[in-house]
Amino acid sequence: MFFEAELRGIKYRINVNETPSSWKVTLQANGERPELHVISKEDYKELDGAISFLFEGDSYMVDVVGNGISYTVYTRGSYRDIPIYNDEMLLHESLKAGDSLGGPNQLAAGMPGKIVKIMVEEGQRLKQDQPILIMEAMKMENEIRAPREIVVDQIKVAIDDNVETGSVMVTFKH
Amino acid sequence: MFKKILIANRGEIAIRVIRACRDMGIRSVSVFSEADRNSLHVLLSDEAYPIGPAPSNESYLNVDKILSVAKRAGADAIHPGYGFLSENPNFVRRVEEEGLTFIGPKPESMEVMGDKISAKEQMKKSGVPIVPGSDGAIETVEELKKVANEVGFPLLIKASSGGGGKGMRYVAEESQLESNYNMARSEAKKFFASDDVYIERFVQAPKHIEIQIFGDSHGNTIHLFERECSMQRRHQKVLEECPSPALDEESRRKMGEVAVKAARSINYLGAGTIEFIFDSITKEFFFMEMNTRLQVEHPVTEMCTGVDLVQEQIRVAAGLPLSVKQEDLKLNGHAIEARICAEDPATFAPSPGLIRRCRNPQGSFIRLDSSAFPGYEVPIYYDPMVAKLIVWGRNRDEAIQRMDRALAEFSLTGIKTNIVLHKSLIHEEAFRSGEYTTQFIDNDFSGSSDNLFKFVDDRVFLISLAVEAYKNLKPKSTADHNIYSRWKDIGRQEGQR
Repeated sequence: MFFEAELRGIKYRINVNETPSSWKVTLQANGERPELHVISKEDYKELDGAISFLFEGDSYMVDVVGNGISYTVYTRGSYRDIPIYNDEMLLHESLKAGDSLGGPNQLAAGMPGKIVKIMVEEGQRLKQDQPILIMEAMKMENEIRAPREIVVDQIKVAIDDNVETGSVMVTFKH
Repeated sequence: MFKKILIANRGEIAIRVIRACRDMGIRSVSVFSEADRNSLHVLLSDEAYPIGPAPSNESYLNVDKILSVAKRAGADAIHPGYGFLSENPNFVRRVEEEGLTFIGPKPESMEVMGDKISAKEQMKKSGVPIVPGSDGAIETVEELKKVANEVGFPLLIKASSGGGGKGMRYVAEESQLESNYNMARSEAKKFFASDDVYIERFVQAPKHIEIQIFGDSHGNTIHLFERECSMQRRHQKVLEECPSPALDEESRRKMGEVAVKAARSINYLGAGTIEFIFDSITKEFFFMEMNTRLQVEHPVTEMCTGVDLVQEQIRVAAGLPLSVKQEDLKLNGHAIEARICAEDPATFAPSPGLIRRCRNPQGSFIRLDSSAFPGYEVPIYYDPMVAKLIVWGRNRDEAIQRMDRALAEFSLTGIKTNIVLHKSLIHEEAFRSGEYTTQFIDNDFSGSSDNLFKFVDDRVFLISLAVEAYKNLKPKSTADHNIYSRWKDIGRQEGQR
């Protein structure tokens, strides 16, 4: 089964084949030479709700969390946020796109919080990473930045508004 | 001694106090908001009572509610922990009016030390050094030169009504004084419509070093040495250690004496901390502020002195003398504390949510004060700190090595934590050498993802994710009966949240 994934700006093509005794995983980073890993099922086992993975002699307890096409994988006190998809997963996603949180043309609150500052105006063209607004949650002020170069269409919140998870705060246009 | 103590707090500090109560044979009463019914302090205490909705001002800051629970439960004392009501003199008075004992200082001490200006005046009167500077605006060049020589170089010229660095000038030596003074005045005039400026010594390579002090009602006031808390991000402490790698015996003795003098001058009762800014170049130290409560980082002091500070707080509040004398105290070894927070280590954005797995570091010379467990949902309403990891070693190198080991054992999944930030920090040369200043994280630390995420091979994440994605998508008919995939469960859980 074929997947595409992205990590630290590198695009990976990943192919997974299952045999009765092993997982055969091919990793190919940004069109470089593919790398085949044959992983015995003895080295990749479900254990206590997670995965005990012996990889090249190193021992990891791995936990995979997420839904749709965006996942967080945890191990050894560290983690990676990784989008992964293939045709089937993308189809699932497009079917439920109507109720997804932050669609491509809107900025939705990732957690409940209060708006403390708004730094943009409607119609303004933003550079990637340009600050849009500051939201206070968990006693911390969090600066929300533009995901890419984009134009502000509507600002749907005001200073001191309380927002819930998933509330659309700003919409964009191209 | 008290029979029952109500703990007006939550999270790891409530648990810390519950443990001290148990160690002393005292019953503990916890209180909880609607967001905390399943929190560990509720599960560990002897008794637990609800005090209202999730937002702090309707629960953990609700004085009436807390007092009515204390009366209903028959508690004879209240421990405030840190934060929330711990430095609120009006709360202390209300507690006393109800005939209960507040475990902490007198409200008058809180009032004097709670206000920055009155605290500084009080300290100046008691002979505690404060950052040298002019008393008010400097009107003439003659006055400027005279005061500057008293204050010492390098110094800063600051606009009286200023902020944000505008109208502020750094002056390294006397020859630059007059021109900078004139520029600062004209800048101040432009930005703040007032050309009043004052001067203040510039503290070089500043470190945050604080002294733990303790007073009882029998006239004893002691200090329990220092803690170094210079590893900060935007004034939030990240890592703390005891002793400070910057202090020699002479500085340690001087700071301890000054701190005791300061505490005596206000007849301080209970545990308190005097925070100093320390000039690494000149070895001078100046009063910053006093915290009239137990500090988050108190465990590093406990590890190196063997004194249980919370038990001492309870003893002193009950009218008993301190169980230790100054001459009996000595620093033994080295301790480091890492604050483990539910936050993204790269952006520092909070990361509340459900903790799925939690493997705690264990083994020799490790202490974990944690409120985390599998299935616990870190609420959005409160501080993101979920645990404090404290290690001890015979010397600093051993403690650092042990912290590295403990962090490697620590695994929390489901939420993002700053564990990798701590791993990165303790490998930094500035930390290893002990020369780090309060500006290190903000100015010199490359918290880039390459730096933070260098510890585990990316391929481990990619391969695991791809195999799990495969298991999730593969046709049911070929399902492997022995392997139970939680993939769908997770998707469902996530979808509901």
